[in-house]
Amino acid sequence: MPVLEVSNLSKRYSGVAALSDVSLSATAGEIHAIVGANGAGKSTLMNLISGTVSPSSGSISLDGKNVRFANPQAAQSMGIATVYQEFSLVPQLSVARNVFLGREPRNRFGLIDPARLMADTRALLSKYKIELDPAAEVESLSVAQQQMVEIARALTYASRVLILDEPTAVLSLREQENLFSIMRRLRDDNLLILFVSHRLEEILNIADRITVFRDGRKIETLAAAGSSISEIVNRMTGRERALPKQPAPVQENAESYTIEYKSSGDPQTIRIRCGEIVGIAGLVGAGRTGFARSLAGLSGRNGAVRIERDGKTLSLKSPRQAMREGVVYLTEDRKRDGIFSGLDLVANATAAALPDLAQGGIRNRRAERDRAASMLERLHLVAASLSLPISKLSGGNQQKVVMARALLTHPKLLICDEPTRGVDVGGKAEIHDILRGLAAQGTAVLVISSEIEELLSLSHRILTMRDRRFVAEMPARQTSEKDILMAASGAAPAKETS
Amino acid sequence: MTTRTHGTMLGRREDLGRYAIFLVLVGIYLAGLAASSAFGDPKYLFNMVRQVTPVGIAAIGVTLVMILGGVDLSIGAVISLTSVLCASLMAGDAANLHSAILLTLAAGLVIGAMNGALIAFSRVSPFILTLGMGVAIVGLTQIYSGGTAKGIVSPGFREFFNHRMGGSVPVLTLAFFVLLGLGLLIEKCTVFGRQVFLIGSNRSAALLSGLPIRAVTMATYSLSGLFGAFAGIALLARSGVSSTSAGQGLEFQVLAAVVLGGTTFEGGRGGITGTLAGVLILVIAFNLVNIGGLPYHMQLVVMGTIIILASALHGWLSRTSS
Repeated sequence: MPVLEVSNLSKRYSGVAALSDVSLSATAGEIHAIVGANGAGKSTLMNLISGTVSPSSGSISLDGKNVRFANPQAAQSMGIATVYQEFSLVPQLSVARNVFLGREPRNRFGLIDPARLMADTRALLSKYKIELDPAAEVESLSVAQQQMVEIARALTYASRVLILDEPTAVLSLREQENLFSIMRRLRDDNLLILFVSHRLEEILNIADRITVFRDGRKIETLAAAGSSISEIVNRMTGRERALPKQPAPVQENAESYTIEYKSSGDPQTIRIRCGEIVGIAGLVGAGRTGFARSLAGLSGRNGAVRIERDGKTLSLKSPRQAMREGVVYLTEDRKRDGIFSGLDLVANATAAALPDLAQGGIRNRRAERDRAASMLERLHLVAASLSLPISKLSGGNQQKVVMARALLTHPKLLICDEPTRGVDVGGKAEIHDILRGLAAQGTAVLVISSEIEELLSLSHRILTMRDRRFVAEMPARQTSEKDILMAASGAAPAKETS
Repeated sequence: MTTRTHGTMLGRREDLGRYAIFLVLVGIYLAGLAASSAFGDPKYLFNMVRQVTPVGIAAIGVTLVMILGGVDLSIGAVISLTSVLCASLMAGDAANLHSAILLTLAAGLVIGAMNGALIAFSRVSPFILTLGMGVAIVGLTQIYSGGTAKGIVSPGFREFFNHRMGGSVPVLTLAFFVLLGLGLLIEKCTVFGRQVFLIGSNRSAALLSGLPIRAVTMATYSLSGLFGAFAGIALLARSGVSSTSAGQGLEFQVLAAVVLGGTTFEGGRGGITGTLAGVLILVIAFNLVNIGGLPYHMQLVVMGTIIILASALHGWLSRTSS
């Protein structure tokens, strides 16, 4: 008998259908993957099931009984646990406090019992083999560790359904493996696990059934066994997938950047030529983002960087100066320092290029709108209107807007930190095309990514970092995922770059 | 880009949220009209606006500061100081009129710039810093004036501002609208105005986008000081006598108007148009309780209640529309 049954569910926002007439049933003891391009309606469906938003029409039933959740708490009390894409942790509190937030064990005076709180948390973490210090403050944790806290919290009340909305996007390989084993264990405990992900390989690996969404509609539910990635992609996009493209060759006499980076140990020097795409691989915590941020003019605890372009030293004391020198950083953390959430798409896209679009400090709205629109069009952004606040867009579309902002400044050296995190297959290919196009026009592009496959297909060269040092340099054409993983994890005696 | 336009529906709903405050304004105005026919008389209305001019002018600058994500609690003290300063610089002589006004405006600008510089270059919260600055300015005003009313306005000063054009529109009210237009121009048409919104919305993202955060911060607080000085001069023009505590407590009326108008303490949203509505709601509320003939202290209670109700109604309207 299905534990969850969704019938003719629709959700409209301001007249725009986010989900149309979706019916779906899922049984206890299954891992059910939900896939689809950005804006296909995956997150909307999850939000409806978790009680975050209420449906415009249609019904949801749990164990055969019709339910209507007034709020997320109502869904939680019925055993529906959700791990959201965006973090909902309190950064100033400890891991233990966050895990049991609102349901802390109390002593007889009705106050939080710190000893039991710690013990309960420790027991939960060790039951699921999650390596976290219950006493650590959440703000001191890496993004991946915070995600594990989020998951641990959901585990405390998941009794029927666990909803995971792109849980692996920020996790390192080991944590991903651990999450999968947790998911299998919960499945064996007869839970239903709804799993949203863009990574089709991992979906085929872990899911029992896969439901594909496109444009707010359910396309088909498939058994994972016997399905192939190309089958799924075809259903997601409604078209055949193109072959991966090659980056254009770099001009022999192109100008180049010489970057001296000092963070841990002796300074190291790396070079990147204009027109070249250099990938930076490494596990979470290897120091890739620190390197990128110091290049962007946010040095300090990220380490010191010195950069020369054809022998001329560039001054990068602030992001503003870096930007003037054409060095532009695209953040990995959209929510923290990427998007201006209440402001519209034009404001977000033109934020860094305003003076160029104005005359004598007076804005030219028409120019702003035209430039934003044409750049967003180049990035194949789909939005109801340019006047929408950016917060109404899906994660992948937000990424495109933030990318448009960087591109409107005409970067000479563009540093992209996880540029396709949370972006669907189609959007990913588009972003790759854009980066290749930029390089072909002479931009030097540094790409940080946790998806080695992405780096292999996108870059000319791949640098691998470990413990805040560059430990390997390989041409992308002559290396494999395995070589890079070995270097990144320290399994092989890696050769340091000079 | 694939722009799907779902015109009217989307437009209307979003507008309802944005214009909720104006619905509140219309509502309270109709309540006024029901209470007294005076609310139908343009002369009375212009007079009402004239009454609120100092608060309204100061609220223009404070709106910008709050969009930036800051706050300016020194504004009341700035109004007091500049009003006394202007009167004593005039020293009852028509020849001093222009220089006095210019020097007063410069003083406001300098105080604002100090607020801005201290906030931009230190990590003190704007709340504490401007509170401290306000207290210090009150002290300076008392020392400067010797604790009593000081200075005499130039002849022609009051007469000019209180002249009613066409018999009904006071020049002071007109001056308020001119400054309002200036504020709107800064907010909506300049790169600076847009940058204020961006920094207020997400400071870290603004930093990464290469925005001149310190310069914008200093300029915004400077403007607040400048509009504060305009407000001080307006207060002097309205009352004609300089009092060392003229602006005392005005910062709360200013803040109430700004917040009522939909500009939040978090920054990144709101605007001067909303603030104007907030200012008008305040003054209508004030006149309503006045017409009701309540004793002064009771008036305060009723006015506070009206502010809270208006704000709640505004919040409810914006929520239901989104």
